[in-house]
Amino acid sequence: MSEHKAAPMVDEVSDFEVLEMAVRELAIEKGLFSADDHRRWTEYIHTLGPLPAARLVAKAWLDPEYRKLAVKDGVKASLEVGVDWINDMPTHFGTPSDYCNLRVLEDTPKVKHVVVCTLCSCYPRPILGQSPEWYRTPNYRRRLVRWPRQVLAEFGLQLPADVEIRVADSNQKTRYIVMPVRPEGTEGWSEEQLAEIVTRDCLIGVAVPRPGVTANALRPIHPAVHPVQHDHGHDHG
Amino acid sequence: MSKPHYDREHHAKKATGIGDPQCFKGEAGKAKFKVGDRVRIRNLPDVFYTRCQVYTRGAVGTVTELVYESPAAEDEAWDNTDKPEWFYSVVFRQKELWPEYPDLYAEDTLESEFSERWLEPA
Repeated sequence: MSEHKAAPMVDEVSDFEVLEMAVRELAIEKGLFSADDHRRWTEYIHTLGPLPAARLVAKAWLDPEYRKLAVKDGVKASLEVGVDWINDMPTHFGTPSDYCNLRVLEDTPKVKHVVVCTLCSCYPRPILGQSPEWYRTPNYRRRLVRWPRQVLAEFGLQLPADVEIRVADSNQKTRYIVMPVRPEGTEGWSEEQLAEIVTRDCLIGVAVPRPGVTANALRPIHPAVHPVQHDHGHDHG
Repeated sequence: MSKPHYDREHHAKKATGIGDPQCFKGEAGKAKFKVGDRVRIRNLPDVFYTRCQVYTRGAVGTVTELVYESPAAEDEAWDNTDKPEWFYSVVFRQKELWPEYPDLYAEDTLESEFSERWLEPA
């Protein structure tokens, strides 16, 4: 008999994922939405990423009028980078899970913003895509509001005492992105060049853009706590 | 006897093409607070559901913006959408939220949003 076993597709299925499947199947059975609605939402979500938000920031750095618009009306400013908060989503009104109110938090040399959602994992998905795993962890959510300087230091961002750190706790219908200060050494750069250094981490506020840095810092990957068992049907004797 | 009809799509019908919270604009009446007001976060009962963080209860902050009108999350969770309220962005000194926050960083702040029911004049 062959000893071959298919490799599991994931290391671990969490209780929350099991709960999501159960609620989803129940909702489909009760007719709240159809399996096809769910498929369209999932496909829509997978088309999203942080590039439009990076372009918004780069554009605002170059165009003072656009910068004013971005700070005043983030939803309107998003249209110019190809994101329609109201009509892009399959529902054409926002929710579930993302409302249509975007605020762009403008950093200055003396104020540094950073975003968290202590209650769950609110994140500006239409313009930033899916949140990174660490953003959703209780560890980040609990500690950032209380010890922001220590948590930022863990991301490699140490700020002097005369810079005010402002934590935005996204608890209601507003979603936030951070517009960092344009770094030195980028004089004469094009919008495309500038957008490349505005990483997802910069847009959440746990990093600041630097010339030459176009990737997010690596975060530790922890092994599965309850690894998936994939030897169904195998007789242990 | 016919079963009472409940329109599960009433929110979708109201918000399509307009957006949420935009679809509640103009429904909250006169705002009780204005930008610059000092407000205290009330410690209301929150059985079943709330989006008002416990760590903000009793803290005093400053209103920086009237952000939108919407039913409070505590009502909307049960699909009670007939009494929208004003929502406020409130900024706190970190020291106000966490007494042990170091004095060296006395300028550090935190902002969050609250529906009108959670605020009282300070």
